[in-house]
Amino acid sequence: MMRRRRFVTRMISAPFWTSIFARGLSEKAEAKTVEQTSYKRLTHSDADVLAAWCDVIVSGARPAGVANFIDQSLSGDPASSLLLLRYLKASDMADFYRKGIIGIETESHHRFGVPFLQLAQHQQKEMIEAAVASNMQVWHDPDPNFFYFISRSDAVDVVYGTEAGFADLGIPYLAHIPPPKPW
Amino acid sequence: MTKISHEKVEVVIAGSGIAGSTMAAELGEAGFSVVVLEAGPERKLSEMISSQIWSRRLRWAGPEVQETGDLVGAANFAMGWGTGGAGLHWYANWYRLHPDDFHVRSKYGRSLDWPISYDDLRPWYDHAQAYFGVSGDYDPNAPTGAPYPMPAIPISDQSAAIKKGFDAEGLTLSLNTLAVNSISYDGRAGCLLDGWCDAGCPIGALANPLVLQWPRAQKAGVELRHNAYVARFETDPSGSRATGVVYIDENGNENVQPADIVISACHTIWNARLLLLSSTDKHPDGLGNRSGTLGQYFTSHALTTIHGLFERETEPHTGVTGANTLCLEDYDNKLPAKDAFGSRAWLVGQAAKPNDLLGTALAKPELFGDALDDYLRKASSHYGNMTVLCEEDSIAENRIVLDHSKNDRFGLPQAHVTNSLPQANVVRSEMAKSEGLRIFKAAGTSEAWAGPRNPMHMIGGTIMGNDPSSSVTNSFGQLHEVKNVFIAGASLFPTPGAINPTATLAALVFRTADHIRTNRSSLLP
Ligand SMILES: Cc1cc2nc3c(=O)[nH]c(=O)nc-3n(C[C@H](O)[C@H](O)[C@H](O)COP(=O)(O)OP(=O)(O)OC[C@H]3O[C@@H](n4cnc5c(N)ncnc54)[C@H](O)[C@@H]3O)c2cc1C
Ligand code: SF4
Repeated sequence: MMRRRRFVTRMISAPFWTSIFARGLSEKAEAKTVEQTSYKRLTHSDADVLAAWCDVIVSGARPAGVANFIDQSLSGDPASSLLLLRYLKASDMADFYRKGIIGIETESHHRFGVPFLQLAQHQQKEMIEAAVASNMQVWHDPDPNFFYFISRSDAVDVVYGTEAGFADLGIPYLAHIPPPKPW
Repeated sequence: MTKISHEKVEVVIAGSGIAGSTMAAELGEAGFSVVVLEAGPERKLSEMISSQIWSRRLRWAGPEVQETGDLVGAANFAMGWGTGGAGLHWYANWYRLHPDDFHVRSKYGRSLDWPISYDDLRPWYDHAQAYFGVSGDYDPNAPTGAPYPMPAIPISDQSAAIKKGFDAEGLTLSLNTLAVNSISYDGRAGCLLDGWCDAGCPIGALANPLVLQWPRAQKAGVELRHNAYVARFETDPSGSRATGVVYIDENGNENVQPADIVISACHTIWNARLLLLSSTDKHPDGLGNRSGTLGQYFTSHALTTIHGLFERETEPHTGVTGANTLCLEDYDNKLPAKDAFGSRAWLVGQAAKPNDLLGTALAKPELFGDALDDYLRKASSHYGNMTVLCEEDSIAENRIVLDHSKNDRFGLPQAHVTNSLPQANVVRSEMAKSEGLRIFKAAGTSEAWAGPRNPMHMIGGTIMGNDPSSSVTNSFGQLHEVKNVFIAGASLFPTPGAINPTATLAALVFRTADHIRTNRSSLLP
């Protein structure tokens, strides 16, 4: 996150930067609230693992509320789901994430003898690299590479795909109808 | 379960996408009483929120499809759900099939022939482009037709960067033809080039059914019922006439809608499934399936996207989501090498936002962490892309069937689609990929790479033909065996060519509507 914020200060004029920063702060406050509210579909520990996994893939995904984003879509009407997964696998999306989280934990225990949350940063990175290279040792279902692809998209959505994310990348949003909230 | 009966109408149409809504407007304006049954909810322009995240709510939320083969995975992405179907989030690239695409079997001894030629469809293409509002300039590599009603959208920075590569390859890059207003047209605004087409164009610069067909249909008295899932067509005891349709409403009740003419406009997979679900003792293998070809000859387009980073700024977030420029040169060379078969078309310079399937982030799925962040910062202003569509041969093995071992949420057997790209088309697609990488290198990219081969568009399954023993419908989409049942949509195409299907689909709808109008007295009892 620090790297990204530094970049923003370089690219965008001061008043605009202030507004983004303020929004960033309020997003953080919102994320904090999110952490305290209970998830509807994911358990707290599942949500923590998923958020940590996504945060290694896209720095800032955890505070941006990625676990809450996924949980919100899994717990609502599937027709209103905001997840990319709906294009590619519409049946039992909750089961897909649940099994994926079990996969992360099983692989982490197998490789390092501890849960994913307790891994050192370089070990967490090694797990992601294994998913990219389809190189998981004991995690097979759902396909770890596909799980990576989907969870990466979720993380990209909440960090780069919102109005604040566009601004951070220096992309003018140009909305016809601005989103009522990021997701 | 309660069974609700409705008053008879002259025409019932299943599906409110571009095919169903155009047909409804045409027949409504011709004085027919028309009811349209749409499985999804009512949609409004206010739901076209400019966000790749929010736009997903417009996508397919109907029953799931099982897919097997090496060119599958588009079923959920390709469909809309609710008023206007995929017409609410299509990209409006607007192309005509080329004359040879109609005679592939006669000319090359493979795939299939259409029962009509380009000349039969040409006036309907002309009509459709005026109706939808198409912008574009003369392109010597495109089939002949009336001039487009609007000038083309100007070249974008992204296309200008890529054009250098086409020039180096000796290929002509033309301004794209799009059902997008380059200037205000027919009371609709001109395009603002903000790149949000994939999330829907609420200002109506891009022709979508909410601004184009539905206002006309409603004015003509067409009734549109939402949350109405058509489960089967009903026929009389002789099996020679349809009597109406059965649909399931949002409360799970079965409804019967009697009609003189029944039209299926549910998109490819669902058109075929509906006929398969409508089997009776007179049609044991599905309605109109005495030939055994119902569900067969499913095709798609084999798509590969070339991505690159350019030294100059490309403003990739601007422009239209469709494509800014187009290369049809060499399209007509279907035999580009020994062992390779099929046409190809390059769609160049699509607007790209950071997220979603066509976003800059997913263009490099292997990157994560700091490497992803670094790449995205460069890509946000220096990214360029182009997509090649390659032809797929129509073969009987690629098909849609019912899987009686699995039921959907309505208790109906699921659809199962098999699609594998024939080897000669694989070779063609690989050649196109190499060509694309050469073009991007010649354009001076600092880095160029190709994405995986994917399917795009769903075509075939209820193909038209002259011979009732080898096709499902005649050239008007009328079932050979049940004359008051029509199919509308790309499921009718015997071959897909290598271009997006909607201009052809629309031209066929106008032709069929004219046929129904002209034969009104014989079609209505
Ligand atoms: C992202 C995207 C971009 C595209 N871009 C282009 C492009 O640039 N150029 C181009 O030519 N084409 C493009 N297409 C394809 C184009 O959108 C389709 O060719 C066109 O929309 C098909 O129209 P349709 O009416 O046949 O089907 P749809 O638009 O899919 O409509 C079918 C409707 O039928 C309903 N339905 C299904 N089953 C039932 C049932 N049993 N009962 C009642 N209703 C039912 C569905 O809910 C849906 O609303 C694109 C498609 C997508 C998804
Ligand atoms: S780019 Fe043009 S056609 Fe696309 S959404 Fe914006 S105004 Fe509409």
